[in-house]
Amino acid sequence: MADLTGWLLDLYEDDDEGVALWLLGDDGERHRLRQDFPVTFFAAGDRGRLRELWSWLRRHPLQPHLARGRRRDLFREEPLTVLSIELDSTIRQPQLFQEASERFPNLDYYDADLHIALRHAARFGSFPLARCHVRADREGRVQALRVLDSPWDLDPPPAPLRVLALQPDCDPAHTDPQALLARFEGQDYRFSLQPERSLLVNLRALLHRTDPDLLLTSSGDTWLLPRLLTLSREQRLPLPLNREPGLGVLQKKEGSYFSYGQIIYRGQQVLLYGRCHIDCRNAMMWQNYDLEGALETARITALPLQVAARVSPGTGISSMQITTALHHGILVPWRKQQPEQPKTAADLIRFDQGGLVYQPITGLHFDVGMVDFISMYPSIMVRSNISPETPFPDRLVGSDHPPGLIPLTLAPLLEKRVALKQRTLSLPSWDPRRRLDKARSSAHKWLLVTCFGYLGYKNARFGRIEAHEAVTTWGREALLRAKEAAEDLGFTVLHMYVDGLWVQKEGCRQPADFQPLLEEVAACTSLPVALDGVYRWVAFLPSRLDARLSVPNRYFGVFQDGSVKARGIDLRRRDSAPFVADTQREMLRCLSRAKEPDALQASVGAAVEILRCRLKELHTGAVPLEDLLVGKRLSKELGGYRVPSPGARAAKQLAAAGKTPRPGQRVRLLFIRGKEGVCAWDLPGPPDPQALDLEYYERLLLRAAANLLQPFGLDECTLRVWTCGNSGEQLSLPLRAWCRQREPYRMPLQPLQNVLKDCS
Amino acid sequence: MGRTLPSITQAFIQEQEAFARFRRALRRADQLALDDLFASARQHLSATAYASHALPMETFLLSMLLEQHKEVLRLRRELDELREALRG
Repeated sequence: MADLTGWLLDLYEDDDEGVALWLLGDDGERHRLRQDFPVTFFAAGDRGRLRELWSWLRRHPLQPHLARGRRRDLFREEPLTVLSIELDSTIRQPQLFQEASERFPNLDYYDADLHIALRHAARFGSFPLARCHVRADREGRVQALRVLDSPWDLDPPPAPLRVLALQPDCDPAHTDPQALLARFEGQDYRFSLQPERSLLVNLRALLHRTDPDLLLTSSGDTWLLPRLLTLSREQRLPLPLNREPGLGVLQKKEGSYFSYGQIIYRGQQVLLYGRCHIDCRNAMMWQNYDLEGALETARITALPLQVAARVSPGTGISSMQITTALHHGILVPWRKQQPEQPKTAADLIRFDQGGLVYQPITGLHFDVGMVDFISMYPSIMVRSNISPETPFPDRLVGSDHPPGLIPLTLAPLLEKRVALKQRTLSLPSWDPRRRLDKARSSAHKWLLVTCFGYLGYKNARFGRIEAHEAVTTWGREALLRAKEAAEDLGFTVLHMYVDGLWVQKEGCRQPADFQPLLEEVAACTSLPVALDGVYRWVAFLPSRLDARLSVPNRYFGVFQDGSVKARGIDLRRRDSAPFVADTQREMLRCLSRAKEPDALQASVGAAVEILRCRLKELHTGAVPLEDLLVGKRLSKELGGYRVPSPGARAAKQLAAAGKTPRPGQRVRLLFIRGKEGVCAWDLPGPPDPQALDLEYYERLLLRAAANLLQPFGLDECTLRVWTCGNSGEQLSLPLRAWCRQREPYRMPLQPLQNVLKDCS
Repeated sequence: MGRTLPSITQAFIQEQEAFARFRRALRRADQLALDDLFASARQHLSATAYASHALPMETFLLSMLLEQHKEVLRLRRELDELREALRG
């Protein structure tokens, strides 16, 4: 008998019975333990059919334990009579369920297809890297397991993870790599890919010596690990990628799917046993929150680390809901059966709406406060108790009913996010915890955001469109109350966007000036609200197609601390060439240095000067080709394009060269002169720099610059004349007119003929 | 996406397109003025959506009137200021 304390690294179905657990012991050892863990699923429906299922299962060779019971279905008032089917072998449960559902398809199944880690989490409160105390016998069979901490702790003790980083020496999608780079505890290694046998021998030795807990790779899912596995098979030299001996790695196929109006591509995945593998290029939200965020997602969703890093936040939040349901003895449906309730046309018109999105007052505004509701939708769900099984709330805060499944799941997450946010604000900028808190809080953000979406998703297990509509209804109400409060206090509301409003009032320049407004909004909505910051200036841009129209999400501005916020302009777009985005960013940084309205005139001049330099670089060939690459996402199969877009034309070139671009993937390309117009970057031969369509890049750059300078009275045409001629004259701008424009009217954009005449 | 009813922007575009024949038969100068009217109705799309009327065209017309009246008020004030300046 041994008592062990340590961190729970991995958990999966044991080959025999129960689950296998890997513990990073405080003694520095990695322990493989086994725990008895029978799993149960349920069937319900017509009595006769249920009886037939029962007698079929009685004769089944797996010999499940059968019992009759009553359980709670979230969508029914009365408990449901169910047949409970319990199996000691966790690994054979999916197979038994599949056979049963194929043979008896017209029964309802519950708790049937759940991840083993979630079942374990609901029973023991376990989660990846939880501190655990385990009592085990000599054979490593767990007698007792106690989890010592909670995923909601603000400062979890850092687990002593041994991380081995592996990456090819170049992007395998672009050129063939020559070597493999490895890094372990600050030590770098380089292994040539040829000869193959010595690569395998070296890598094997490294894996044995370092025995990493986490393989952190780049292109590991799509290129590196599949290739190493093939080599290992060909050379008949086993490679110990798994810690668990005798198990193969788990490979999941690539795929494209449709989500939020976009085709998303996910590469194939390679998952290990007893050790985690994360491919930072294939991890869903890596660019948003890196390893800290992935660890946090794993802790709070209870999904294994390597799974949590790859799944979408939607799967993350459903996992949390499933764990809550299992914990409270609520049945988790295999397939949802609730259709939408019938409703009147008037109700449909009133409730089938999203958040309030206003058309801002376009132009340049000074001293603008940005007031934000903190996690508005999740707060409404928790405070108004909105859940599929609770009735439509009749007020913004408070409920006469016991908390529903969704509020129960969200409340601790929301509390942790708010606590982390408040702590980040109080920490000095040099404190290393700031970065950690930011990564964690960003992981929370995505889970909370998708939780609202999943309420309205027809295939979500705990979704119901009426609950989704209840959230937006009360969201609109809260925003309108905030608008009324602001106007009562004499503020002009420049813009409103779902959960935030931009307000301005003569004499209000400091955060303290906005405090009475915050208090009033908090009082009339009972929702948490904060001042996101005070803008020195902010510019709301008109539509690109029609300058008379204002659009909600195209703006940029500078906060009092000099930080910049921009939405909907080139530097935020993922299909902008780095050269264009960087120039725009540099120009915006230049503008942001102006502290007073009077200093803006000089800053605009300096920004135009930057543009002039960049254009010169473009025409003298000083811009590296990589900076001119544009990444276009394929929205469908190649055959599906009637008029091929630039992305599709580049993808065709790749297909002709033997590569297979899939829908949802980004194709990198250069714009060139000639009939094709584009040249795919990942073709075998190098592109010809002479063929570049410089005029097209010039147009892209001028358009990006005009987006930025339009509020200062400069359009694309003017910029072209100024930057292409060599006029060194002092620029005079109609800026003052724009600064003074405080009237809630839209001024049409004046063609700047006069300015042009002055300059040329 | 996933909606039963068209969004307010879609409804607006449908209403505007319903007047395509009317617009075509107008003189060019009148066409441009009509476009201005529609553009002004677009400024209040979110309020129109919130109003949730079964026939949004009424609210679009009211939005056009609203912008017209704001323009009248602005011109009236400017006129007053000019008169004041002339007198002074």
